[in-house]
Amino acid sequence: MSNPFSYIFSCLFVLIAHAGMLVNVFFNGKEVDTKEFVILCAAVLGLDIIYYFVMLFYKQHTYTVDFMLLLVLNMSVIFQSCFGGVHLSMKHYITCIVSLIASRVGYHLVRDHRWIQSKKKYVWVCIGIMMGVIVLFTGSRSMWIDLGFMTIQPSEFIKPLLVIACATSITEQQNKHKFLQFNIVWENIILFGITAAVCLLQWWCRDLGSIPTFAAIYAAGFLLRICYPKAKFSNKTLIGAGAAVLIAAGIGIYLAPDYVRARLFVNIWDDTTGNGYQQSQALIAIAEGGWLGKGPSNGFLHEVFAYESDIVFATICEEWGLVIALMTVVVILLIAASPLINPPLSYFHGTLCAGVCAAFTVQMALNIFGSCNLIPFTGVTIPFISMGGSSMATSGIMAGMLTAAQNPVFAKMKSAKPKKQKKVTGGQPA
Amino acid sequence: MYDNGLIFCAVTAAALDLCILILIIASYREKSSSRKRWKSFSSDMELFENGRSYYLGCDEVLIGRHGSADIRLHDMSVSRYHAIMTITDGVWTITDIGSKSGIYVNGRPVKQKKLHENDIITLGSRRLVFRKRRDKKK
Amino acid sequence: MKSIRRTQSVITLFLLVFIGGMALLVYKINKEAPFYMMHSDNHQLGKVYDRNGDVLFDAAGTGYDENHFLDVGNLIGDDKGQMENTLVAQNIDKLNNYSFSEGLVKEGGKAAIYTTLDHAANRAVYNAYMGAKGCTVAYNYKTGELLVCTSLPSIDVTKGYANIGELESGTLISKAMYGTVPGSTQKVSTVISALEIMGPDRLFSKTYNCSGQYMNRSGKPIDCHQSYGHGDQNIQQAVENSCNPFFAQLVEDPDLPLGRLKDMYRKLGYAVNDDKPQYIDIDGIQCEKASTTLTDSYDFNTQWGCIGQGDTLVSPMQLMMWQSAIANGTGKMTMPHLIDHVTDVYGNTTETAKTKESAQLFTPDTAETVKRILLTNGSNHYTGSISGYVLGIKSGTAQVKEGAEENALLVGFVSDERNPIAFCVVLENKYSTPVYAEQIVKTLLDSLCS
Repeated sequence: MSNPFSYIFSCLFVLIAHAGMLVNVFFNGKEVDTKEFVILCAAVLGLDIIYYFVMLFYKQHTYTVDFMLLLVLNMSVIFQSCFGGVHLSMKHYITCIVSLIASRVGYHLVRDHRWIQSKKKYVWVCIGIMMGVIVLFTGSRSMWIDLGFMTIQPSEFIKPLLVIACATSITEQQNKHKFLQFNIVWENIILFGITAAVCLLQWWCRDLGSIPTFAAIYAAGFLLRICYPKAKFSNKTLIGAGAAVLIAAGIGIYLAPDYVRARLFVNIWDDTTGNGYQQSQALIAIAEGGWLGKGPSNGFLHEVFAYESDIVFATICEEWGLVIALMTVVVILLIAASPLINPPLSYFHGTLCAGVCAAFTVQMALNIFGSCNLIPFTGVTIPFISMGGSSMATSGIMAGMLTAAQNPVFAKMKSAKPKKQKKVTGGQPA
Repeated sequence: MYDNGLIFCAVTAAALDLCILILIIASYREKSSSRKRWKSFSSDMELFENGRSYYLGCDEVLIGRHGSADIRLHDMSVSRYHAIMTITDGVWTITDIGSKSGIYVNGRPVKQKKLHENDIITLGSRRLVFRKRRDKKK
Repeated sequence: MKSIRRTQSVITLFLLVFIGGMALLVYKINKEAPFYMMHSDNHQLGKVYDRNGDVLFDAAGTGYDENHFLDVGNLIGDDKGQMENTLVAQNIDKLNNYSFSEGLVKEGGKAAIYTTLDHAANRAVYNAYMGAKGCTVAYNYKTGELLVCTSLPSIDVTKGYANIGELESGTLISKAMYGTVPGSTQKVSTVISALEIMGPDRLFSKTYNCSGQYMNRSGKPIDCHQSYGHGDQNIQQAVENSCNPFFAQLVEDPDLPLGRLKDMYRKLGYAVNDDKPQYIDIDGIQCEKASTTLTDSYDFNTQWGCIGQGDTLVSPMQLMMWQSAIANGTGKMTMPHLIDHVTDVYGNTTETAKTKESAQLFTPDTAETVKRILLTNGSNHYTGSISGYVLGIKSGTAQVKEGAEENALLVGFVSDERNPIAFCVVLENKYSTPVYAEQIVKTLLDSLCS
């Protein structure tokens, strides 16, 4: 399967899926302007084909994650282009291309786990720089830096960096075991410090939605670390620690300041024009859409603030129906679940995958459940679907990490070359 | 309009489903090719002991008595975390990670050693042979 | 390898938690979508029907006769949010022509509420008031089906609320659900209580004198509407004469201790003194029960409270329900209901009404005794004005607005297996109306009884 030509079928079916959606847009859309529609088709299908040919130049062992990424990104281009009327959303299209490029960056960054481990101090420095940027440029109640032509959310970029930091510390920890009799690993403390600092910073910025994401990434890394050899944690300790965290969370909610509690326990139906406006409109839109939706561009939710990012799930539900919206979620889950189908071959990459999966699922959960009033509403984006350059780029980086986990570099290039040839011959009968 | 909408919705959903299915199938095919690649890279070695063989399936294999060890040896003479096997450039290395009874390769005590085919590794009272994998199922 | 499997199980954990949440979300959306839809501007409401298929509510509101909805306007209500304590406002989710899988059904949705009301009878009663104010409520005391419930003045909901500032007070509520001064109909409760406390033999052995006015033990005068007095009377005569001095002396009687009287009143559903007010739920419509103030047996206000003035307030619905406990001979009230059954958007019946009874308020013996007293009253005084029915009945005259106006009340029941009807009629300001309460009862029974 390492021959990219054998992925022509994958590419073909991605094309068919996008074409099916476009047909739906053409026949069910509201007052479809043929010119706009052709531009949209050309953009989406063109990107599919160009991406395939670009991938031919990359010698990888697995490409499925890349094609899933392509599938979901162009789906989101179609979604975003149809909200309120059919016209190509140029901004989202560009961010999607940025995301695809970012996935290449992420791929090369973590492919060789020995190399990235030797460079982990730079990762910490990068996190530090990002935090410095946040402190200096965004101000205490904001999360964006306005560059005039675009806005950047620096906290997004900390997410993949933290994933890498968690993963690198794991393997390093094992090296420490060689030399130290006692299990005091400075890296764990450094990592905890980084996570705590990032969370505090997010609190300071009032970017409350990011905190669970960072916490989940750290928790995934922590879980895998304490299971590592010589970490003296029994199941009882684990359960006890979990219970302690829950109790602490409960006390935290109890003691939380009023404005936080007001956000946590809000009955949106009592306040459909104030605090509950977005959520109640989102739920009404989902109800109006039903299983099969009203048809692309026929919804009303695009008139509500943050329709393209925070409540994008509801906007998709309304126009495309709950079925398609759920399938979109399934595609993203499949990307996150790719390490289950094709397992990584080192603990570093496994931890990396777990961190990425944690980031994806927690962000999706916060967004979807938040906009549907299951949990408090926070302004978090769905990876790959919500509009937003920083989010798209970092999601791309993390997807690239998943590809890298399936295409690890174990050997130096010199000795790898003869092996690769062996592999190709071995791959043919499969 | 509603009927048309229904049809095209179904078409879209079906196309998406099909695409997802194809990608899952592709992923499973990749899994088998990944296995093959790993096999060729890791020289397809195994540890063998008294009719039981232990597969070396990732780049760090922990050997010990503890439940979380990749290769678990139920023997009091084996430390909970006894040794770790790592692979670099297709060569397996065994490293002592603080065991009580130490590691002997071909009868000689070592802290860390590159392994060759048919090396005999002694951990406590257990003897393991490092050899080419012989898969009977194949 | 175990280490890799460990990472996979962490991934699986995250995915499973998320998928579980997703499943919960889909379930929740499926279940609550009709509720969300009610907040949408696009929702479609089904109709409300009476027992014969006549329309009582239609959100479209066109194509009906002039004032078709007038007689039920403030009971059935509408979806405009002006009248909260109405059938439609409280049950609007049942009229939602929507289901998540079908989406919005614009045409042919079958969501509907089928009520137990008899629109023709309701309209006849409404017309019988001839423009006077008041309310009438009647139901089947065997099954609890509300047959007539009209309140005047009322409003035609199809005409909107543009003139809401000019509406008379009481237009937007169904008066049967709210407390009113019961007048002498209160004496039914006092008789029931006395029977329960003393027993029939002792009560029937008591006679008190009425000379037109009675000076009570605290030195205040209790007037009788018959200024010459009724002379010596027993309980049967006192009920028939509706004699106030008799009841004042009965309350003062040491055989009727106030503590037990309070308990008995509470059992009947009164909020005595500072008790928390209680409500009857009639398919979501909140109906007040009764309240009074009882402080001392010799107290002027307490005595009037037992006669039906003072602080006593009882809703006409509650007065009618006590009649069911008497008419049934069980001492248990039949709880009224307005909804017979509800259908969903596909026309499937989703809920069907069941007859419910209250707790035991008083003994069947007491019920039989009071029934006899009221039937005797009916046959002695009402065979002329409400001819053709075997009636147990009690009249009342309630002074309201500091004595400036008097309301006429009639509560009673028809003792007829085929037409088990209990009713309460309130006619406000009876001296300035062209109609008598008896005529309204006659119209009511004529249109209900076949």
